[in-house]
Amino acid sequence: MRRYETIFIVRPNIAEDEIDAVINKTSSIIEGDGGIIIRIDKWGLKKLAYLIKKESQGYYVYLDYAGVPASVSEIERIFRIDDKVLKYLTIKLADSCDPEAIKEELASAEAAQTLAEEEAASPAETTETTTEDELKEDASPSETAAISAEDEAKGEEEIPTEEKQAD
Amino acid sequence: MPPKKRIFPRQKVCRFCADKSLVIDYKEVRTLRNFVTERGKIIPSRIYGNCAKHQRKLTDAIKKARQIALMPYTGPTYL
Repeated sequence: MRRYETIFIVRPNIAEDEIDAVINKTSSIIEGDGGIIIRIDKWGLKKLAYLIKKESQGYYVYLDYAGVPASVSEIERIFRIDDKVLKYLTIKLADSCDPEAIKEELASAEAAQTLAEEEAASPAETTETTTEDELKEDASPSETAAISAEDEAKGEEEIPTEEKQAD
Repeated sequence: MPPKKRIFPRQKVCRFCADKSLVIDYKEVRTLRNFVTERGKIIPSRIYGNCAKHQRKLTDAIKKARQIALMPYTGPTYL
């Protein structure tokens, strides 16, 4: 079992349920080969850095999963045929991974998620990836504050680099 | 006699070695943006003093980000 992540871009004018259909199809391929879906993220509409098939925007979908190489080639074959998918990228994260450990991790993450829901999403629960996502979706003030602080840090970083260039 | 070349010995430290929390990931375009020019070209390590290991990871990440259209191969030209 190997760990992969796949990002694919769907045409922007496609309805939400059709995007779900594409996701369901790919996840059924992975699970059909005995793989495990770890995470599905819809990044949503993003501006593309360059035109792909004359589209300037695209709907990004991120998949994190453990699976066999055969399912990756099957997914990519279907993406190539599918007119709705503009582009895809699969990255191998690890050569081998333990499916049992991942299952346990997912179960614990799920438990933490339900716990967080019960405790009305306390910020202390951000260690788990799934709960972190939830907080982002909720756009809690602490999260947004962290992002803006990051932005400021970036801005400060840029100043010394420009100085170096001037030299 | 030609004027003496002024040398500025400056210790450049690899940003990624100094700050371990800074991760190179092709999905994090905001970090990668600092290491390309306005036109989208990768800035050589001699400018920022990145170590070879991190510069290598950086270029790999930028190239991956370009493949999935998160970053441009060539930036906006404005000309």
